[in-house]
Amino acid sequence: MNHRAAAKAALNNHAVTKRKRSVSQLLLHILFGLASILTILPIILVFSISISDETSIYTNGYSFIPSEFSMAAYSYLWQDGGAIIRSYSVTIMVTIIGSVAGLLMMTLFAYPISRRDFPYRNVFSFFVFFTMLFSGGLVPWYLVYSNVIDLKDSVWALVVPNLLMNGFNILIIRTFFQNSIPPSLIESATIDGAGELRIWWKIIMPLSMPVLATIGLFSTLAYWNDWFNSLIFISDARWYSLQYVMQKMLLDVLFLSQQSGNGNSALLLATMPSETVRMAMAIIGAGPIVLAYPFFQRYLVQGLTIGAVKG
Amino acid sequence: MLRRSGSAWKTSALKVNIHFLRGEQTLKKQLIIVLSLVMVLMLVAAGCGNSNSGNSGSNSKGKSSNTPDSSSQAKDEHALEPYKLTMVYPGSTPNDLKQVQEELNKYLTEKINATIELKPIDWGAWNDKTNLMFTSNEEFDIIFSANWVGYSDNVIKGQYVQLDELIETHGQGAKEVLGPDWLNGSKVNGHNYGLPTLKEFASTGGLLFRKDLLEKYKIDLNTINKVEDLEPVFQTIKDNELGVTPLLASNLQTLAGKLLNFHYDTLGSDSFGVLDPRSSELKVINMYETERYKEVITLMHRWYEMGFINKDAAGIKEDQMNNLMKAGKGFAYNAQLKPGKDAEMTTSLGVEVVQKEFVQPLTTTNEATGAMLSISRTSDNPERAMMFIDLLYTDQYLLNLLNYGIEGVHYVKQGDNVIDFAPGLTAQTSGYNIGAAWMFGNQMNTYLWTNEDPNKWDQFKAFNDSSIKSPALGFVFDPTNVKNEIAAVTNVKQQYDTALSIGQVDPEKYIPEYVEKLKAAGMDKIIAEKQKQLDAWAANK
Repeated sequence: MNHRAAAKAALNNHAVTKRKRSVSQLLLHILFGLASILTILPIILVFSISISDETSIYTNGYSFIPSEFSMAAYSYLWQDGGAIIRSYSVTIMVTIIGSVAGLLMMTLFAYPISRRDFPYRNVFSFFVFFTMLFSGGLVPWYLVYSNVIDLKDSVWALVVPNLLMNGFNILIIRTFFQNSIPPSLIESATIDGAGELRIWWKIIMPLSMPVLATIGLFSTLAYWNDWFNSLIFISDARWYSLQYVMQKMLLDVLFLSQQSGNGNSALLLATMPSETVRMAMAIIGAGPIVLAYPFFQRYLVQGLTIGAVKG
Repeated sequence: MLRRSGSAWKTSALKVNIHFLRGEQTLKKQLIIVLSLVMVLMLVAAGCGNSNSGNSGSNSKGKSSNTPDSSSQAKDEHALEPYKLTMVYPGSTPNDLKQVQEELNKYLTEKINATIELKPIDWGAWNDKTNLMFTSNEEFDIIFSANWVGYSDNVIKGQYVQLDELIETHGQGAKEVLGPDWLNGSKVNGHNYGLPTLKEFASTGGLLFRKDLLEKYKIDLNTINKVEDLEPVFQTIKDNELGVTPLLASNLQTLAGKLLNFHYDTLGSDSFGVLDPRSSELKVINMYETERYKEVITLMHRWYEMGFINKDAAGIKEDQMNNLMKAGKGFAYNAQLKPGKDAEMTTSLGVEVVQKEFVQPLTTTNEATGAMLSISRTSDNPERAMMFIDLLYTDQYLLNLLNYGIEGVHYVKQGDNVIDFAPGLTAQTSGYNIGAAWMFGNQMNTYLWTNEDPNKWDQFKAFNDSSIKSPALGFVFDPTNVKNEIAAVTNVKQQYDTALSIGQVDPEKYIPEYVEKLKAAGMDKIIAEKQKQLDAWAANK
């Protein structure tokens, strides 16, 4: 009797915790399900607009299921493919060059200031920290890149300004170096006869994959999504980045629709690409960068958890 | 889990440790990779340095070639040193720009021993980019200017070369073509800083109607004399055409706006403090307190209530209004008009439209400064720039080459002055269709497309002649002293203007409220300042 009651109670107890867990589990699933729907739905909407018939959009408005299916937007982009392909290759080139070079330069900067035996580490940390908080403003910034080092209308105008090195990223890397790599490791390497460069490349870098992947993802995304450098520095359409080609269209429409004083703006507006084309461009622009996420994600999670525990 | 990964690290570190002791080969390989990357970066830097020095070299060359006795250049055109002009104007870059540029260079070298580089800047980037070009002292010669892209601002900042003397020495052709009205109308403080495009010299507002529906219901636009007459027409459309809005409006483009802003001289780019050009005295008034404002808004409210105006007008943008017309969802929509506007819009909308003006054409400073060419203060050779601008007014071949590209490649002649796209090309596929004839020189000298009225330029002249010339033509308002008030009043305007203009809200209640809020925000101060400047201008005239 006693045994049975105890067993029953235990069973009940177990059921309760199980139920409790399944309820909270369910709530969590619903919460995150909603969150992902909220982020995925707009993309689906954009996609279905891009495969809709132009006039059906004006008559019926946007809808998730195209009322009239048409690939006109994509074939229009295909016909005018030269510009898209060119800007695509510009963006890919800039992203690769920029994030590899940026990563190397940032780690090369972060490593010395992470070492406690480096005498000027505070001075150099201050440079990073100061430029993170204060900047010279748009005009001096532009003057430096256009007059002092003449980067205008070249691919370097897309690589160097703003994006190549980022103070915040340097500090993240430095913190990782400081907290995750025991100084004794460096010491032992020195004893074994390794020079500074070799220690950095053979010991520090392989051990820092998580933070490298994290920062690599940050800067890849920053390069991929950048349009401002194109707007400011590029006047030669050959060097337009992909995002700027899209941004340009929106800016043009915005600018022209505000010009009530100019009778010709209505005419120019009417020749702007249609809405389906704009949406198709957004889909194309998202392109390969979507694939970069899963690649980096593995390291990203690792990097974040390690940083959290040891930080 | 965490601990495990931590220890995994340690072992991997150990492995690394051992690895580098053993594998000298792989280490070398990896170092080589790093070093080569560094080399690449250095090459990059060297490349930048090279292009830099190359540029500065050519710059200094340009300078040195121009400094020796520029006065003799003016006297003897044949002894002109070669010079490369740069022209900056808004628009997108056409595919065949280089090709046209080469053709222009051939011709210009012969004419004024100059070559030209065309630098179109995207519309959306125009303000940012040109401002940065000026602040960084970038060298360029000719720049498009207009009141709606900060002409008077730039004049006050001294970004443009003052042209009075240059027009006398090198711009006689342009001066003759333009005549005194244009030149005086575009003066700022008594000086010319830009040469206006010879085009329509007045503006008016009205509606564009769909031709097929006009014909279907046998509506004759000639019988309609004033806006009020449209009521039965709109009623017919509303009753018989399902899904078609009789009168389209958008957030910023409304019929009320057209009927008001083209009736008054707005004395600048905003409508705070306007002048009635029909009255003889120079008195700045508040448009929102006038009888006409009340009439127009009341009519719009009536039509909105009757269901003539799209209910979502406040939320749709200007390009969306075009799209609604394209899709056949609208019967009429408002536009700034000039002769031949309907033909232009028919081409770009793909829907046949007919225009009807409801305001008498009016000439104000806004029209005189609507599209101009100025010379940048950073120009090395303003004389040559002026010679080029002068050619745009007098040389038909050059102008059409710039506007429409190369004959036989981009367009073919169908008549004396009539052209069509070259066989197999359309407006979309042509490699050079910049649609910018209204930006450069003498538009009356440009060719017409086959779908345009062959008498377009005669109509332009008649249109210009029929306009009322505002007594304040040539007056430019300097808003510096009342900047804060203008910002505050603009905020109020954004809050009320659209709702009132599309007729969404009751004018009996909201017009007084609007006027009161405008006053509280400093409307009277703006009007007083405008009046003060206008009086000073009139006294100096």
